[in-house]
Amino acid sequence: MDTSNPAVFVNAELLRLYVGRRVRAVIQVLQSDGGVVMGKSTDENQIVVKGSPPAPLSKFVEIVGIADSEKSIRAEVWSNFGDSFDTYTYNQLCQLANGEFKHLFL
Amino acid sequence: MPVNLTPNAIAAIESGDVNAKPLVQVLDIKLIGSTQERYRLLLSDSVSTQHAMLATQLNDRVKSGRVTKGSVVQLIDYICSPVQNRKIIVVLNMETIIPDCEIIGNPKSLAESGSAAQTPFPNKNLEHPTRAGGNHFGAQNPGKNVQSFPPTVQPPYQPPPNYRNHGPILKNDAPARIIPIAALNPYQGRWAIKARVTAKGDLRRYNNARGDGKVFSFDLLDSDGGEIRVTCFNAVVDRFYDAIEVSKVYLISKGSLKPAQKNYNHLKNEWEIFLETSSTVELCPEEDDSIPKQQFSFRPISEIESADNNSILDIIGVVISVNPSVPILRKNGMETQRRILNLKDGSGRSVELTLWGEFCNREGQKLEEMINSGSFPVLAVKSGKVNDFSGKSIGTISSTQLFINPDLPEASGLRNWFDRGGKNAASVSISREIMPGGSKNEIRKTVSQIKDEGLGRSDKPDWITVKATISFIKTDNFCYTACPLMIGDRQCNKKVTKSRNTRWLCDRCNQEFEECDYRYLLQAQIQDHSGLTWVTAFQETGEEILGCSAKELYLLKYEEQDDEKFGGIIRSRLFSQYLFRLKIKEELYGDEQRVKITVVKADSVSYSSESRYTLDLISKFTK
Repeated sequence: MDTSNPAVFVNAELLRLYVGRRVRAVIQVLQSDGGVVMGKSTDENQIVVKGSPPAPLSKFVEIVGIADSEKSIRAEVWSNFGDSFDTYTYNQLCQLANGEFKHLFL
Repeated sequence: MPVNLTPNAIAAIESGDVNAKPLVQVLDIKLIGSTQERYRLLLSDSVSTQHAMLATQLNDRVKSGRVTKGSVVQLIDYICSPVQNRKIIVVLNMETIIPDCEIIGNPKSLAESGSAAQTPFPNKNLEHPTRAGGNHFGAQNPGKNVQSFPPTVQPPYQPPPNYRNHGPILKNDAPARIIPIAALNPYQGRWAIKARVTAKGDLRRYNNARGDGKVFSFDLLDSDGGEIRVTCFNAVVDRFYDAIEVSKVYLISKGSLKPAQKNYNHLKNEWEIFLETSSTVELCPEEDDSIPKQQFSFRPISEIESADNNSILDIIGVVISVNPSVPILRKNGMETQRRILNLKDGSGRSVELTLWGEFCNREGQKLEEMINSGSFPVLAVKSGKVNDFSGKSIGTISSTQLFINPDLPEASGLRNWFDRGGKNAASVSISREIMPGGSKNEIRKTVSQIKDEGLGRSDKPDWITVKATISFIKTDNFCYTACPLMIGDRQCNKKVTKSRNTRWLCDRCNQEFEECDYRYLLQAQIQDHSGLTWVTAFQETGEEILGCSAKELYLLKYEEQDDEKFGGIIRSRLFSQYLFRLKIKEELYGDEQRVKITVVKADSVSYSSESRYTLDLISKFTK
């Protein structure tokens, strides 16, 4: 298992801190066309995902990629997470994983 | 100026009345005693005189000149003891009222005064105390030629009935001193308080063994922050109910102090005032800024988690959601309304607030409209009750008060925090709105804790919840043959034995039948990160775990003898995770004590609610 470049769990607020880094985020798909997917992050803000998903997207999708700006991610891996997802819990995870338990994740 | 001493005081003391706290005059003081300094006083009630010994602790009064010949004093603590066929009065405590005064009256030694003055004060006679009704403070009584002064301690007023209509009776019309509410106590004597009404209760009618009655209460707050409840019954209600208005300031006096009724009264005062017909309540029209409008002691929502169930507290938070009113049937059969709101504050926690009854229609309705229009109002709750049914939540009680967007520094602080980002700050609900299993008092344990904590060993069984995985299912004797006959509305279910041929016999029902029922008696092993243990699952939980009826499995194994299919089913149920509700009890098996664990419920794990639970654990872990 390649652990050399772990992807940081982010929401919109945390994305700003990891520009240029490999990140992962779960978004709710709002709009998808022309190589760009508009998504709502788990902390209720907008994230732009660049890239074309290989398959039709479900309501919630996990994106792993490089944060190329404070509000966008260049996607490398798309994973469908289905149509129901507990965004609150994921958001808490993002905060814990980047806060007091950062050492367990990065 | 002439002063009236308590009539018949000397005679009363001699007859044994040591409670009257009379006013007497000291006519003479003599130092007696060779080894110890003792003062002997000659006391007069303006008609008779008597000697009294001064307790040595009061010697100073004489020495400092506070008590001299001619002083008018009030006896506070005193006794009268017979010594050598004489009665000796000993003064244990007294107050100097007038340090120097001409001799009042024409006192003679008691023996000379004759029998006229010997009627003792009957202690219990309280009929028609001659107070001027409706005393208003500040009004001196000029016509009576009586000197007014503020005594430090007032006796309970007990005029002798003989003197009701004639003779001068000491009447004190001086204004009682205004004291802080915190200083009120039943032994105070005359008192007056100036305070603002912070809450006015409803007029309640009741019916008890003594008949019908009515009562209402109101709460007071004074400038020192002292609070006290005032209660009025029956006729007193009529006198004061309309006069009392919330947030007005009143001067109140002449009520009785009794212990506060802690069931209803949650103010920080061990006493409660009970007004009588003779009590006075006077409105103070000028604004008194020194008395706050309302007193709160807000706690951050995070502290509610550790508050005791049923405790009363004040909270303030931003309303983030308001649910519609629902009708609820209460235990007494009455229907009421209930609304649930969620409050959030800067402590990183949110809490559920339950509104009951009128609160739903008044404040609840208003809050719902405000939320619907997009605003998030600040709500202050005074005297909310902590409830620990699911997590910790707050509910309204009859004495609760709600304030929407109050004019308080805490409210503006919250507003600022919320508008500047607090709105989006993550917040964990301490009321755990998504309840796994929804059981009351759910205790979560790990498998190893069952043994480590010796659960099941006390005389009552332990009920716990464990999240664990099925790691093994015993396939021999996974069910038993049960009696299908009904006893009342329940199935007998006793184990039946085979009678002749293919029939079954139940000992309890004493009947034979062709077909028996098959019920689970499953032995399984469950495991979590800490350890593993054996559990027993009966019919319902067996079905939850295996996903099919005992009869199906029995037939599959023993009739069709399809071991492969049977094994496949069993294997497919292994390693599924459940939230097990377990009953643990130590029982005697033969001559051995064994801890028996029964699965009462096997719920599948909802990842969402389990995550919330874990998040909660994490937050507690890091504290």
